[in-house]
Amino acid sequence: MHNSVVIEHLCRVEGHGGITVNIKDGRVEQINVDIFEGSRFFEPLIIGRHYDEIPPILSRICAICSAVHTITSLMAIEDAFGVKITPQTTLLRDLLIQGGNIESHALHLFCLAVPDYLGYTGAISLASDQPELVKMGLDLKKLGNTIQEAIGGRAVHPVNAVIGGFGRLPNKEMLLHLKEQLKKGLKQASATIDLMATLKIPNFSESQTVYAALESIDGKYSFFGDRIILSTGDSIDISKYKEVCNEKVVLHSHAKQSQFKNKPFMVGALARIMLNGHKLTGKAKKALEKLGFNSSSQNVLYNNLAQAVELVYAIEKSLEIIEQLLKYGIKDERPIKVKVKAGKGTAACEAPRGMLFHSYTFDNKGNLAKADVITPTAQNLANMEKDLRVSVERLINESKESLSDKLEIVARAYDPCISCSVHLVELNSK
Amino acid sequence: MVKPKIGIFGLTGCAGEQIVILNCEDQLIDILGAIDIRYFPTAMTKNDEKCELDIAFVEGAVVQPMDEESLKKIRQRSKLLIALGTCAVWGGLPAMRNDVSRGEFLEKVYGTKGKSFKSIPAQPLKNFIDVDLSISGCPIEKEQFLKAVTYLLHGDPPLLPNYAVCTECKMNEYVCMLVEKNKLCLGPITMAGCGARCPGYNIPCYGCRGPVDGANVASEVKILKEKGFTLRDIENRLRSFAAQAEILQEQFKKE
Repeated sequence: MHNSVVIEHLCRVEGHGGITVNIKDGRVEQINVDIFEGSRFFEPLIIGRHYDEIPPILSRICAICSAVHTITSLMAIEDAFGVKITPQTTLLRDLLIQGGNIESHALHLFCLAVPDYLGYTGAISLASDQPELVKMGLDLKKLGNTIQEAIGGRAVHPVNAVIGGFGRLPNKEMLLHLKEQLKKGLKQASATIDLMATLKIPNFSESQTVYAALESIDGKYSFFGDRIILSTGDSIDISKYKEVCNEKVVLHSHAKQSQFKNKPFMVGALARIMLNGHKLTGKAKKALEKLGFNSSSQNVLYNNLAQAVELVYAIEKSLEIIEQLLKYGIKDERPIKVKVKAGKGTAACEAPRGMLFHSYTFDNKGNLAKADVITPTAQNLANMEKDLRVSVERLINESKESLSDKLEIVARAYDPCISCSVHLVELNSK
Repeated sequence: MVKPKIGIFGLTGCAGEQIVILNCEDQLIDILGAIDIRYFPTAMTKNDEKCELDIAFVEGAVVQPMDEESLKKIRQRSKLLIALGTCAVWGGLPAMRNDVSRGEFLEKVYGTKGKSFKSIPAQPLKNFIDVDLSISGCPIEKEQFLKAVTYLLHGDPPLLPNYAVCTECKMNEYVCMLVEKNKLCLGPITMAGCGARCPGYNIPCYGCRGPVDGANVASEVKILKEKGFTLRDIENRLRSFAAQAEILQEQFKKE
């Protein structure tokens, strides 16, 4: 029987974190997901900055999610100043986010998560045995980056999405090129579903889970939404996001933790599928049926399956957006000008790892007075500790090495983005 | 040929450089065939924590004592140490306001519990150890990284541009953001290598790659002031990515 398990450095996750478990008489006394990624103090650094400087700075919270950080930041600024963007801008932003999602999910599935289920230490060793599998993952990842480069101007930290619109609009040839790539990607995403269907997903981390996601608009599956819905049946306007993400400081972590009504909750691909999955259509709907997990699933490892379903969704949705853009033709729109006024703006998007909130208060000159950013990984940390706790208690008789490896698999299933989680909110802003 | 042993390390940052490396999708499998990756925890488990390395790539800034310790250990075990990205080369965004005490930030962010966290002003790698080569960018450019790796695999020092973004912008015949569009563009004083990416999208240069050697910062500031930008706006932009660069610190002292 073990007294403790310490994983000093979680591998195949973004950033620096570890796990410490103290055990007494077969029960977990304490479990900490230690976040020792350094603090970059984003919010206090940018107080006083002019509004248009905010998105390029806050995109740097995270490289993998930089597109969705940028878009959410733009939307929060536009909300504060009452800027109404055009339908074309909405479509292009959606496409950019879909690209980010394809890149992020493909990276996580093929390079970080799937090697666990196939018995490899990572994509590097997997590539020497199964190069065609890794190649397919890299192709899908590249597809996401191709979209981000075409629409955002850069795969990491996009430059082209600006307040009120885009710096330069894509032309018809670029869209047709993307369409070709997406069609190829759709076949590879379907092959990914076939692969995922063959994996044996263990159930040692199963436990009662509250899910939270944005309620997608217009009855369609989407990464945008104005309301937060939870599997408890609650529904809350995004302007009241703090009622859900009730953050607290814990000493073992540079990231704060979130609880809803004193309960941890999960956000991300699995939460979205659990709450909005019935709105999926086309091949994504078929993929969900094929993988056969249902709305009562309480196993976080299924997040990897949900990511695969969302790969199919994101590619189909991107194709749909491009069809619409081609049908109406790209209009030569300039970014909408901003009329600065004092006020507050809040926006939310579904990032690859779950709900992302940006909320800003500006003075009458458009300078930032207060900022609050809540990232999905920060929201997930408390729930991750809960899943790790039940896993340890079920696996207590296994060797330390096997137990550690399995705890890493649980942590990795969340696709944690630790840089993101350590962004730091001002305490007194509540 | 014995494959060179490589380590890819991240201190504190957004992981942008590691993501750019993983974004070399078309070249990744070939690169993996030519090198022996011993340490890359973002991408693999069972990393070698101790072996001697031929090349260490290090991204991120030093913002806490733990980063400094890790960095010194990496230096000890590596023949060549390469700073990747603006955070590693210049301190990056986290070093924007090193004039404000970290204690103040910690208390603002974590309340009284902040006292138990350790934080130091964000700094580039060169403040702690010898750096053999610097590749800046927020993030680094994929092509520049690939070219550097190719040179290194042949045993040659990589050639990096030592001119301003402005030069690349003119070569691309983009409309001048500074003179013609009256935007707060840092192209004239920023290190090239991005192909003047932002002006190509009608966006002024934010200086994300840090200052070019011998940049005439005073002249840039003078032009911007003549165009009606306030000193505050100019200083904020200059501070964003490379506030710790000596050439910019000199300018801040003048103001």
